[in-house]
Amino acid sequence: MEPAIRTEHLTKIYGQRLIAVNDMNLDVPRGSIFGLLGPNGAGKTTTLRLLLGLQRPTAGRAEVFGRLCGPNAVAVRSMIGYLPTNPQLPGNLRPIEYLDLLGKLSRLPGEIRKPRISALLRAVGLLGATGQRIQTFSTGMCTRLGIAASLVADPPLLLWDEPTAGLDPSARRFTLDLIRELGKTKTVVVATHILGDIDQICDHLGVMHEGRMIFTGSMQDVKQRLRRNDFTLELDGAAEDIRHLAQQANNVEGVEAVADTGPALLVRIADGHSRSRALADVLKLIDASRLSLQDVHSGQNATENAYLQLLQEDEAHGFQR
Amino acid sequence: MDSSAKASPAPASAYAETRKLGTRMMPYVALLRHDLRSLWQSWLVRLWLGATALLTFMLVGANWAQFRDGTLIASLLFPYLVFPWFFVVVVLGVSPVSGSRSETLADGILSRPVSRCEYLLATWSARVVLVLGIYLIVTVPSIILVMLAKRPVPGDTVTIYGIVTALGVVGLVLTFLVSLGFLMGTLLRKPLLAVVVLVFIWYPIGLILSVFSLEEFSPISLSRAISTQLRQSWREPGANPQGKADAEDINGVTDQMSHFFSVLSGVQPRPKAANPDFFEGGKFEDFSLLRVTLGYGLPTLAAVFLASLCFYWRDL
Repeated sequence: MEPAIRTEHLTKIYGQRLIAVNDMNLDVPRGSIFGLLGPNGAGKTTTLRLLLGLQRPTAGRAEVFGRLCGPNAVAVRSMIGYLPTNPQLPGNLRPIEYLDLLGKLSRLPGEIRKPRISALLRAVGLLGATGQRIQTFSTGMCTRLGIAASLVADPPLLLWDEPTAGLDPSARRFTLDLIRELGKTKTVVVATHILGDIDQICDHLGVMHEGRMIFTGSMQDVKQRLRRNDFTLELDGAAEDIRHLAQQANNVEGVEAVADTGPALLVRIADGHSRSRALADVLKLIDASRLSLQDVHSGQNATENAYLQLLQEDEAHGFQR
Repeated sequence: MDSSAKASPAPASAYAETRKLGTRMMPYVALLRHDLRSLWQSWLVRLWLGATALLTFMLVGANWAQFRDGTLIASLLFPYLVFPWFFVVVVLGVSPVSGSRSETLADGILSRPVSRCEYLLATWSARVVLVLGIYLIVTVPSIILVMLAKRPVPGDTVTIYGIVTALGVVGLVLTFLVSLGFLMGTLLRKPLLAVVVLVFIWYPIGLILSVFSLEEFSPISLSRAISTQLRQSWREPGANPQGKADAEDINGVTDQMSHFFSVLSGVQPRPKAANPDFFEGGKFEDFSLLRVTLGYGLPTLAAVFLASLCFYWRDL
């Protein structure tokens, strides 16, 4: 089964000056929610634009569902729903007019287009704003309309560029839930630099740095890559009691406990020791103390650590590249 | 869930099945309508419509009792060929595919299943339709008024064929100007720069062509030749100096008779029509409609083709 997206040595150089995408080989599995992660300027947006045919590759090739991407690859774009960062929409139109225009651009007949537009407006919560011109919309409303626009043709592949940029917490939650829901029936590529989003919704990840794809794999692969045997236990109680607990925990075999990070205890479990047994022993000590356990975090943020480690490794091996 | 079973590329096959002409043309028609609507809502277009209507009204009013039909109609067409509407038409042609905001909006459209050619042709034809629409809405009623009203000037030999062809020639020049602006906007990507370049290149070229009386290529020469063309008849579309001389003789005789009867009856004679040198140069007997059509038509096609080529190859 061919992947939803395949790139081979994809390269984009702007004006012989800036290498935006550098010899990228990428396979995005069908049906996955693929997080394209990277710092600003890593080449994420350029990659999406190359897939859409908005830009031409300097070298290499990109395919979507086995079809070659390019400026006139209309059939490829008919399979893609694109949401740009902070979408710029025609302010003189109303939402229905805009979606109707996009439906016509996708050659959808009226009997399919009209009901789908009303269903989409309802789904993104813009049914109450159909009388307003788009120029009066807030950033969040524009993003929601952009989401609806990307779904008008019901494409099997969604390319969403920074879908949560500039959104308030509730709109962000809505967007992430929607991506999770859409991921049940479509392939979704989410380009972002927000690790929390990736962590919550993606099952596959690609990490870009300075135009290069420095890691691709499943989220499990990522976490496995930086499997950290450490836990942060958030505690409620006096600092003296936490320090005392740390001393006791250090006596447990294979456990190193540190209590210098506020009302929390950092527990590191040495390799070769059972994580569950060591953690259970520490929890018993807490139970016996005057402290109460508020929360347990595994490895602080595994994705963040993995991501940062990947970037550090990539920079450290610059010459080897 | 079996991930291979989901996300099948159904829309691609749906696209391949769109064989009906109406369905195939749907994006083009949608873009054309959208662009026409956006243009109509722009202040530039509305201002231009008001200004061109006002200028036409003033020209007709000021020369009502002075210019003969052909001269007056030629003077009405002059602003479209030379100044000031040249500038407006070029600005309208330049804007669709240049400028950061236009490019961002174009991104939103070109990320859909629309080919660049469809997009470019739709935006170009929207501008051509709009420019020609405004030009005809204002000039046609004015010409009808000039032709049908009883004015205190001698009659003229303006023909329907002459009017239609003159309107067509000016329309062709306007189409060419839109296309030229379109090409420059696509090449330079900065609207202001494109307009400045066009103004600084086009006017000197127009003057040079005018000096050599190349009416087929120079709007200035064309505007002087229009009054000749207005008097052409269908059966003699080519220049006919003998015919023109006959018409002038008839006009002279008519003027003399009119003067004679006015003296006899004691009524004030009809005022003699002014004969401005610019519009009645009389040097355009060899004016060829075919050459004009080719002279502007071929560059128009070339400009659209080059703009399409440039737009196709460039990154957005």
